[in-house]
Amino acid sequence: MQDEESLVRRAQRHDHEAFAQLYEEHFDKIYRYVTLRIGNEIEAEDMTQQVFLNALQSISSFKWKGIPFSAWLFRIAHNQVVDYFRSKKHATVPLDESLASNNDNPQLIAEQRLDIEQLLLASKHLTEAQREVISLRFAGELSIAQVAKAMGRSQGAVKALQHSAIVALRQALRVTENE
Amino acid sequence: MDECLERLLVKGETIEQCLQSYPEQAANLRPLLQTALATRKAVAIQPRPDFKARARYQFHSALQEVVSRRRRPFLSWLPRWATVVAIALGVLMSGGGTIAAASYSMPDNPLYSVKLATEQVQLALTPSDIGKAKLCAKFADRRVAEIIHMAKKGDAQQVEAITERLDERLVMLTRLTSAPEATEAPEALLSAPASSEESGNDKSVRAKADSRSKLRTTVANYAINHPAALRAALEKAPESAKSALRRAIDVAQADYEKALEALD
Repeated sequence: MQDEESLVRRAQRHDHEAFAQLYEEHFDKIYRYVTLRIGNEIEAEDMTQQVFLNALQSISSFKWKGIPFSAWLFRIAHNQVVDYFRSKKHATVPLDESLASNNDNPQLIAEQRLDIEQLLLASKHLTEAQREVISLRFAGELSIAQVAKAMGRSQGAVKALQHSAIVALRQALRVTENE
Repeated sequence: MDECLERLLVKGETIEQCLQSYPEQAANLRPLLQTALATRKAVAIQPRPDFKARARYQFHSALQEVVSRRRRPFLSWLPRWATVVAIALGVLMSGGGTIAAASYSMPDNPLYSVKLATEQVQLALTPSDIGKAKLCAKFADRRVAEIIHMAKKGDAQQVEAITERLDERLVMLTRLTSAPEATEAPEALLSAPASSEESGNDKSVRAKADSRSKLRTTVANYAINHPAALRAALEKAPESAKSALRRAIDVAQADYEKALEALD
């Protein structure tokens, strides 16, 4: 596999293959991140597509200054999410029926739907920054260092946010389970 | 907790393995690590395969548009008949960059005519009916992505034109799968176990039956997913494209119903 820097440089020269490879590597993670942030699959689909179209338009402005490409991409996704909430004043809505439908086992699908719906409910108890850390860490699968770059915060601050977010989620999930 | 999380999430260790390193903090850490694992499990959602395929197609189209803006497209200036001849030569001589690039172009891209001509050549060069029918299904999938793309831009005229092409391909698919060559697999052979003494002819019939069965699965998926994708596009399309989109949905539904009947 080629290193990310050379792939990005080729993509910046509009190399079709390089950009396609970056797309394949990050698509699922961006989709999961957006879905977890907004809780609506149909909107998440559109927004994920838009993230990559925006990346395509602005990739020439990306500069290698120690910021990984994934952090830059999640930054675009984050801005997209912010715009979404700002423009539409959306509240998180229940997930669409077809979520997780590539699993053939109906019981597993039902369990997964329950899990994520509980998580979305619980995540309402988090602050905006805590939710961002959880989405980037668990849905985007970024390391602490990458989350720090994406959020423009120190690694120590990200670790503290992650800790407080998990404590808050634990509390909220326990309440949800008891309801 | 950070150390434990790295070991759990990255190295795949269990909670118990992590806690062995921190026995004095185990009582506090355990519930938090359980929450972290539950969170990761909950977010392990995957995009729907049909959405992913369509998104990939649309992304490649946008990418192609950016690339073709940077270089003058070869072939796009040729008259239609000359394009078809050039493409036939290109396909026969293992294809060229322009032809490959054109396969993702959208109707508002200069390479789109190359894409349509390439499809015609591919159909002409495919000898069997079932092979042609498979191509028709593949091209129908492209047409739906194109309809959605042009509907977003509010271009009703293009949506109508592509709907005609979609109809053309699905009607062709139905005709090809109703033809005797495509339906000759005998019932007994479909259910019979494979035998090592099977004749070459039997193998060929079995291969055709398998091919037909795969095509049926593809068409059955498209029969659900294509009208659904068009309906989703209808909700967001500008008013100017809505009427054309409704017609596209009707055409897709009716044509897929007929195609499935032919394949059954």
